[in-house]
Amino acid sequence: MGDAESQELIAELERLTKQAQAAAPDSDPPLSSVQRLRACLEELIARYPEEMRSTALEPMREALSAGRLDADLLKGVWYLATYTLDHGVDLVRRHYSGEYQTDAWGLHREFLNAVRPFFAFLYKVYWRVETAGLENVPSEGRALLVANHSGQLPWDGTMLTLAVLSEHPAQRLARVLYSGMFPGVPFISSWLVRMGGTLAAVENCTRLLEQDELVVVFPEGYKGIGKTFRHRYVLARFGRGGFVRAALSSGAPIIPVAVVGAEETYISLHKSSTLAAITGMPYFPITPTFPWLGVLGFVPLPTKWTIDFGKPIPTAGYGRDAADNPALVLQLTDEVRSVVQDMLDDRLARRRSVFR
Amino acid sequence: MGELQRRIVLVTGASGIWGRRVAARLVTYSAYHVIGLDEQRPTEAVVGLEFVQASVRDPMVADLMKARGVDTVCHLAFLESEQPQESAFEANVMGASRLLCACSDTGVRKVVVKSSMDVYGACATNPAFLGEDHPLQGNRRYGYVRDMVEIETLCSGFRQHVPGLMMSILRFPSIIGPTVDTPMTRLLSETWMPTLLGFDPMMQLIHEEDVVGALVHAVLNDVPGVFNAAAKDVLPLNKIRALAGKRPVSLLHPLAYWALRLSGAGSRLTRRLPIDPDYLRFTCVGDLARMSRELGFEPRHSAEAAVREFAERTVRRT
Repeated sequence: MGDAESQELIAELERLTKQAQAAAPDSDPPLSSVQRLRACLEELIARYPEEMRSTALEPMREALSAGRLDADLLKGVWYLATYTLDHGVDLVRRHYSGEYQTDAWGLHREFLNAVRPFFAFLYKVYWRVETAGLENVPSEGRALLVANHSGQLPWDGTMLTLAVLSEHPAQRLARVLYSGMFPGVPFISSWLVRMGGTLAAVENCTRLLEQDELVVVFPEGYKGIGKTFRHRYVLARFGRGGFVRAALSSGAPIIPVAVVGAEETYISLHKSSTLAAITGMPYFPITPTFPWLGVLGFVPLPTKWTIDFGKPIPTAGYGRDAADNPALVLQLTDEVRSVVQDMLDDRLARRRSVFR
Repeated sequence: MGELQRRIVLVTGASGIWGRRVAARLVTYSAYHVIGLDEQRPTEAVVGLEFVQASVRDPMVADLMKARGVDTVCHLAFLESEQPQESAFEANVMGASRLLCACSDTGVRKVVVKSSMDVYGACATNPAFLGEDHPLQGNRRYGYVRDMVEIETLCSGFRQHVPGLMMSILRFPSIIGPTVDTPMTRLLSETWMPTLLGFDPMMQLIHEEDVVGALVHAVLNDVPGVFNAAAKDVLPLNKIRALAGKRPVSLLHPLAYWALRLSGAGSRLTRRLPIDPDYLRFTCVGDLARMSRELGFEPRHSAEAAVREFAERTVRRT
């Protein structure tokens, strides 16, 4: 294929894409378009080391920008592929020989980067997550994100983390506090720890906040995540206010977060207490596909998600001893709960469809 | 300095691995006179140590304390057996009980006890870092954990009711080192190490020399209280295993518990699995804030360096 011919083809494709966009202004350009390809490349480039960028990626990006499909581009793709493979092999080898670093909580950054593309796919393509109010999340210093919990499986935690990690300018890694049923579950327990999670205990929450981390809690716990479909978007009890005590004793602001869309990923028609008792799970949902279709029942519905970050509620003004004041803790818990509920109702009122 | 002004330190378990080393370090300080107490004679004598052959349960220990005016007791006599044995319980718990009674009766000023972080118990509800005030929920399946929990309960009783007796209790995590024999070094002794499939808890370690260092520090300085003492870095169990050059034998955790329940005391299984499966499944990591702030002790070896040294030395040994 000649240079002129390929140029023509690309121009034609671009024109068609623009036409499609004009017809439906909200739709994303298709994955194969040059625009999207370039966006993907830009994202990849940011993650690779400096030497890699100059040797392979820059010429490739130039070729793409100029719309050339030439030898430089192919060479770049080849470099990129071999580098990615080498990097992967090296990562696995080092993992098996123990040559990797974690922090004292068990966060393993390389593991996180390795599993990130899977969650990024869910985030961008599958659930098409949109965020609003990310400017309310501080770029540094402690803050406690308090969100509604929903969707039978804790996908909302991973999506919320990814939202802050990939869309916030500071790219902060939020530490998710997970429920007490996970430490006893094989694989999940160790993966959660490697991804920076830890058990939802007041001690853990306070300690992380005192280390100036960004912490995510879902105070509803099982009661929230295991909701049946007819109770969707109605907040359950907000625990015993442990998150408020942690915020008060560390002086961290509370940022209310509303996740919309996760509630419809599984349609839980009934909670079976018998099956829950047999399997030892805190709740056992019966959905149109689970447990009837086995593993297939775990496939979530491709709903459209939005994550709203609300205005921070300061707690530093109450003083450190305020954590021991049950009346204040209760009052703040109720306040945060009603703010999250209002944010949910507001977003739901503006939502056009579950899937779009 | 005259003989009369020297402080008398009584080290129990003086023929054991810890007693011998602590005594050997203490005799180098001219301000201290060290008496070693053990049922067995040491294999190699420590120069400068006055050795007394007796059990800690022997009533003459109280007479010895009174007659010699013992100032500090460093209690290191402990039988570390995996199976809950009556003889070990008698030696460990009753021994500690009699010794503490003798101390409070004869006006001993200070007692230093070597304990273990196992006493917190590994369980699903543990926060990532356990403070010294965390309730003691140590597992009762393994003898050495059960006995240590009993001893700690006893100690806290003495701390409450005999305020005149200063107590320093040091809780160590799994101890590793090229020369010692501990549950952790036994776990890492074979090429294949048992693990629980899908579990990779965070673990603390301490180097054998730092254990001795911390105990000597507590004898030399007056630091009353209970302290976690461990290397500053916390490692995932799988990293410890991999760095030590061992391969995993992944057991399904319900099977491991079931097998342990079926095979009673004296089984070969506990020898291959010297650490209770709970500790290979859940986190049991101590908060070290008090160690730095109040105890004033800093371990010289990091956990990672300790594991690397262990791996290097064991390869050379075989």
